[in-house]
Amino acid sequence: MQNTRPRQDQPSRRTALKALGTVAALPWLSDEGLLAFARIQETKGAPQLKVLSPLQFEALEVLVEAIIPTDDRSPGAKQARVADYIDLLLSEVDRDVALQWFGGLAALDAEAMSRFRSPFSRLGAGQVDAILQIISRNETAPQTALETFFVMAKQATIRGYYTSNIGIHQELRYKGNQFLREFVGCQTEDGKDCPYCGQKHHAG
Amino acid sequence: MQDDPTLNVNLTRALEESKRLADSIKPDSDRWDVIVVGSGAAGGMAAFQLAMAGVKVLLLEAGRMIDVRTEYRTMEWPYASNRRNRLPPGERPIDVAEYSFLDRPYGSNPAFDKYKKVASYASNRFTRNWVVDERQNPTTGTPYAWVRANILGGKTNFWGRGALRYGPLQFNAASRDGFDVDWPISYEDVKPYYDKVDVLLGCSGTNEGLMQVPDGVFQRPSKLNCVEVAFKRAIAPMGRHYIPGRAGVTTEGVLNNKYRARCAGRGRCGRGCDIQAAFHSPTALIYPARDSGNMTVRPYSRVSEVLVGEASNRAIGVRVIDANTREVMDFKAPVVVLGAGTLDTTRILLNSRSSAHPSGLGNSSGLLGCYLSEHIMGIRGSGYIPARIGTETTLDDGRPVAPYIPRFRNVTDRHPDFIRGYHFQGGGGCAEYPGMAHDIAGYGKAFKSNVRKHYPALISFGGFGEVLSRKENRVTLDTAVKDAWGIPVLKFDYRFGDNELKMAKDMADSIEEMLTAARAEDIKIEREPLPPGWSIHEIGTARMGDDPRTSVTDRFCRLHDAKNVYIADAAPFVCGGTQNTTWSILAMAWRTMDYLKERLRAGDA
Repeated sequence: MQNTRPRQDQPSRRTALKALGTVAALPWLSDEGLLAFARIQETKGAPQLKVLSPLQFEALEVLVEAIIPTDDRSPGAKQARVADYIDLLLSEVDRDVALQWFGGLAALDAEAMSRFRSPFSRLGAGQVDAILQIISRNETAPQTALETFFVMAKQATIRGYYTSNIGIHQELRYKGNQFLREFVGCQTEDGKDCPYCGQKHHAG
Repeated sequence: MQDDPTLNVNLTRALEESKRLADSIKPDSDRWDVIVVGSGAAGGMAAFQLAMAGVKVLLLEAGRMIDVRTEYRTMEWPYASNRRNRLPPGERPIDVAEYSFLDRPYGSNPAFDKYKKVASYASNRFTRNWVVDERQNPTTGTPYAWVRANILGGKTNFWGRGALRYGPLQFNAASRDGFDVDWPISYEDVKPYYDKVDVLLGCSGTNEGLMQVPDGVFQRPSKLNCVEVAFKRAIAPMGRHYIPGRAGVTTEGVLNNKYRARCAGRGRCGRGCDIQAAFHSPTALIYPARDSGNMTVRPYSRVSEVLVGEASNRAIGVRVIDANTREVMDFKAPVVVLGAGTLDTTRILLNSRSSAHPSGLGNSSGLLGCYLSEHIMGIRGSGYIPARIGTETTLDDGRPVAPYIPRFRNVTDRHPDFIRGYHFQGGGGCAEYPGMAHDIAGYGKAFKSNVRKHYPALISFGGFGEVLSRKENRVTLDTAVKDAWGIPVLKFDYRFGDNELKMAKDMADSIEEMLTAARAEDIKIEREPLPPGWSIHEIGTARMGDDPRTSVTDRFCRLHDAKNVYIADAAPFVCGGTQNTTWSILAMAWRTMDYLKERLRAGDA
């Protein structure tokens, strides 16, 4: 696994705070809490798995990255540590839900073995895509166990990715949750033509 | 590794303060002129008005004190925890569907056995220490999503900030359509108090000259963002308005309050505003009242009943059960003001049973608990505004509330299918979380870029419709089921009626009509209402009127049956229009306290 390199030196409180970017909002965290938290945020720290085996985790990382991949604009779900998010989720959901996930990962491997004689985590990009094309066919009304698993995995990936630092700031470039003097809004509200949406002050 | 250090809010200071106050304040520790029950919008305003006028007040709060320096986690990012915004294991909010099919009491369902705490749907990462445990606070009867917060300031710590006035369409509703009765007072009676509340607490909004939602004394309004302007322009030809939301948030600052700063546009008010620009009862009302030296707060004080004296038409105080020690104490005062929230105030009165008042205090009409009303909601719609599809992210949500489409049915015309009306609240543009991503098909680079493309273009809004005040929609005391302190609980008998369901259908149709007019793409409409109670706008169970045979309180919210008991919350409201309730509670509580101050001055309270 690429992600299992030894942990870097403990970050200082200062770098931990910098990584947070939200110092004012978390004044009650102890140093220990902050450092623990900064480690979670470290995109290159080792995963500390709760329920998934290293092999399951590897397969899950490949799957979430295929659902939301790295592109020109931003890193994908793997670097955003979505698999860690799902591992924690599975450690806290009802047992039958966790079993559905384990079953899904196993079925994914079985599918990969039967088609390409290789576990899912070892497939090339084109092979992963071939499998995802098949299992995403009936997204709105899944029929098979694998199709159902795809929907579960996709929804969790969306949740994990777009609540991550990468998803919010690099991908969406979300601009809110900042101290503003005044909310700007559409420029037409101030009697100008708006550069953001192209609407004219005097609409026809 | 600690998974979620951010969940560990330091409550030491609040807990120590609560214990110190509860230990030191006993029935014989002082003499008070007035006991106020509850510390939210109603109790907070009542205590503030009295204390500032030199009246000695004992304020009783069922929960603990709050530490406003640590408990409002306004700017926390979801990635502060790898759990993101999920509650920790062992805590469980009741979800939408469960309200309708689980047996009551909700908390005692075996499905929840493994959880330490089961709370209403309003419990989340930010409110979890405030929203009550359903197991300790059960209810019975028909499905009802009753949200309660036992904490200083109550639900004002996380309220929705919608600050709308009732107008003539509410106070004189019956005169217009013949249903039920008018309020015994008019908008002109309450208008000066709405004005004063606007100035005291700060209200952001625009003057629009619309009789369905009267203007106020507004501070700097928020603006519409790009998708909202496109939508406003599209529905204007239909005669419909889309206006900046009116928010109980100070954007320009308020006088004489050292605890509050003006709005900084972060848009996270529902978690509690840590600079106190949003109205929260503790910093806006209770701390200033305490600073006057005239008010004592006793936390952990669960009021079980109002005590009636030898003269059976006068209260002598209230019975308190200490939430921790279970010690039962009778606190005495010449006047009692109930501001525990519409339903808990009603419960206290129903439970105030004596030989002179066998069915509860204030219930000689038999109407105490009847006419429960709130808003039917959940009907909503969304779509993408073409002008913003594929454009770059802009800052669209740095404001206290989303815009608002005021009521347009039965204002100047008459709808053939239903009386009264509804309004919509909601907006669009770039939000922190792109919820629409869950509805976008596919995976991979195409999926990711599709989310990005549609992200700035979404607009979505939902309706709030008036539930008619009907006698059969009621709560009663269920003496067979007790809460954790041995107090009988409320049994609900409440359903949406034909008028509400016809209105809901029209809401969905008009959403579709408006989104179509805006040429929105991928329009989605939710036509099913949320469970009863969801609006948290409950009113009406101790209605006001001039005739003691048909009402519970007089026009000053004073019980017909006990002249020294006043209600400061929304229990006396006759009907609730489409408007969010809090601003009317604040205005009415102020008015009621002005009347009480007059009575005290005249020595006739």
